[in-house]
Amino acid sequence: MPRPGACRRRPAIVSVPSAVAAALLLLLQARTPAQTPLNLYGRGASGANGVVAAAKPDASQAGIAILKMGGNAVDAAVATGFALGVLEPNASGIGGGGFMLIKLASMREAAVVDFRPTAPAAAAPDMFALDERGRPIGNASVEGGLASAVPGEVKGLLYALEHYGSGKLTRAQVIQPAVDWAERGIPVTANLAQIIKDNFAKLRKYEHGLAIYSVDGFPPEAGDTLVNTDLAATLRRIQAEGADAVYAGDIAARIVAEVRKRGGVLTLEDLATYQVKERKPVVGSYRGYTLIAAPPPSGGTHVLQLLNLAEQLGVAALPEQSAEAAHAWAEACKLVFADRTRYSADPDFVRVPVAGLVSKAYAKTLAALVRPDAVLPAPAPPGDPAKYESGSTTSYAVMDRDGNMVAVTKTINMFFGSGVVVPGTGIVMGDDMDDFEARPGSANSIQPGKRMLSSMSPTLVLDPQGRPFMALGSPGATRIIPTLAQVISNVVDRGMPIQAAINAPRLYQGRTGGVSIEGRYSINAYNGLVRLGHAVTVSPDYDPAYGGVHAVLLDREGKVLHGGADPRRDGQAAGY
Amino acid sequence: MTRTTPIAAAASAIAAAAALPAAFMLAAASAAAAQTFALAAPIAEKPAFVTTVGQSADIEMVKVLLERAAVPHTANAQAKAADLAASGAKTLIVVLGGSTKGLGAAGISVDAELDRARALLAEAKRLKLTVIGVHVGGEARRGQLSDRFIQAAVPACQYVVAVAEGDKDGFISRLCGTAIPIDKVERTSRAVEPLKRAFR
Repeated sequence: MPRPGACRRRPAIVSVPSAVAAALLLLLQARTPAQTPLNLYGRGASGANGVVAAAKPDASQAGIAILKMGGNAVDAAVATGFALGVLEPNASGIGGGGFMLIKLASMREAAVVDFRPTAPAAAAPDMFALDERGRPIGNASVEGGLASAVPGEVKGLLYALEHYGSGKLTRAQVIQPAVDWAERGIPVTANLAQIIKDNFAKLRKYEHGLAIYSVDGFPPEAGDTLVNTDLAATLRRIQAEGADAVYAGDIAARIVAEVRKRGGVLTLEDLATYQVKERKPVVGSYRGYTLIAAPPPSGGTHVLQLLNLAEQLGVAALPEQSAEAAHAWAEACKLVFADRTRYSADPDFVRVPVAGLVSKAYAKTLAALVRPDAVLPAPAPPGDPAKYESGSTTSYAVMDRDGNMVAVTKTINMFFGSGVVVPGTGIVMGDDMDDFEARPGSANSIQPGKRMLSSMSPTLVLDPQGRPFMALGSPGATRIIPTLAQVISNVVDRGMPIQAAINAPRLYQGRTGGVSIEGRYSINAYNGLVRLGHAVTVSPDYDPAYGGVHAVLLDREGKVLHGGADPRRDGQAAGY
Repeated sequence: MTRTTPIAAAASAIAAAAALPAAFMLAAASAAAAQTFALAAPIAEKPAFVTTVGQSADIEMVKVLLERAAVPHTANAQAKAADLAASGAKTLIVVLGGSTKGLGAAGISVDAELDRARALLAEAKRLKLTVIGVHVGGEARRGQLSDRFIQAAVPACQYVVAVAEGDKDGFISRLCGTAIPIDKVERTSRAVEPLKRAFR
């Protein structure tokens, strides 16, 4: 096994002068807005004392500032989380929720803080009127009041601070960087400018968002600054009053009024009774490394399941970016996503066979279904893949010199969530209700108080001696699961440095449909997959749909932490 | 919400960077305000019909531009040639630039979108409508996909308005050549004025 941290990358694309290659190259040149301009430099960072890797450089710096003040990794993660709600308002914030995975050096077992949004008490399995294709009419699960669940972010972050923070820093101190950025104004990057342009219709429709995220009524341009004094005022209230500032009183009343005005069913009671849940992590291993992940309704179970299959199929021994390796990943993904659809849901409502799903024995039976010379049929009829295409969400990781590890993934679901922005508060309400199955009868169908299934999978990795090694996570909807598995494989199997592991081209295979590969994937793998019978789609070179992995890795020999951040979005790590 | 106004922001940003005297910066701001336009006189009649060539979400920005320019219009991102005659519009505005996501959402292939655009532009010519191209997506709305749509539509335009960032390489200007007047603006909101001037 190569030593993780050693670099032995090979050219990703071998030129083959053929019609297929020419067509592929044409596709490779197609750029997506979010990668313009693409900057591969300066994404990673190292430090002996602590590293934070997040989707915005200023959010990473917010975490570092807290570490320098004497805070621990959880303090830094909470500060980074609040800062991301300001700096990356399209992806997460007070109107959403997520999962935080914590392993302090003093803890024998990691803890999972589940602050996923919850269906309101008045929600019902048939609350969305469906069209003939089974989709909510008028995009009602994605846009407007009905799309919003009971948010968990503020209660979740403050729960983590209270229970796992160092106790050396106050709530006001860890929230202060977020307040500062909201008042000072956030820099509009090319990525954010394009996201706002793409969501301009939604922001116009629910006008309070347009008032914040526009300049003269138009989407801002890169280089502009967006000030959000309303959000700053809300954050100041949280500094002073804690979670009650949002879950009770006048701000809660404003949230409820705006959501209901836009057709929702949220009540003050829903907000007042929202509960953070602390869950036991799901634990597995990959080639001697211990994997600790968030359990259902999060997606960590399936990251472990996918890596179990990769282990059984011998991916590590297959040449990097070969057709054989790509085929193994694609087939394993099909099997994993079939199980996810069948079994995964909120474990408080549905029994999820987690132990079986992550067992090595079960992986062996699934691996036996994979043939090197044939393609498995898609296990289910075509569904509605567009439903799972939200590329929003954010993920970040923190490790400090004391061996504390934190990985967080949080979201308002689609970019700018439901579009509903609570006037006077700067709060963008999420559209997490879309993550439920809109039809009754499924494990993941809507029920009052239930948490919707998620692919969010913050993950911690311990080295073969059981010591802290890596913390990571990613946004990207269902792509999160194969993306994280591939990055872990890149580090463990290929010995890539963390930034190279993140930059490396990715593959995605869902429950149905064909294989998607990023543009830089090897042409030999492309040709080999096609020969085997896979339907292959080539995406742009650095496609934000494949996630935005942020990770911190401890190089024990060098006694230094390395942070890696994803160039597919605005990621940049910071360390000291 | 923002604290900046376009000209003042540009002036203050440049001044801050270069530490130049305020008087010089005011002159720079005045010069920006005194932009000249390519059209000597209006060329288009109201009302307008707006569609995309490439299914980008930029059509939403163009709708706001036309509202600000007091140009009555109807918009249909997937309009067919027959829709044009039925609309009673006197001007066709095509929003230039491709979007993979937009094409996917509309269920239209690149070739089908090009066919739709060509048919629409041919119908506009037959109806003797003025055609104005608008490119407000900047650099993100360029590249192999977008350029195919821009290349197909610009030669059929009588006037083009573009955000300068999207024409840094002169691609749109070269397509316009000397026959098609083009106005380039620094940011989307500045496209109101040239569009207003284009209509009688």
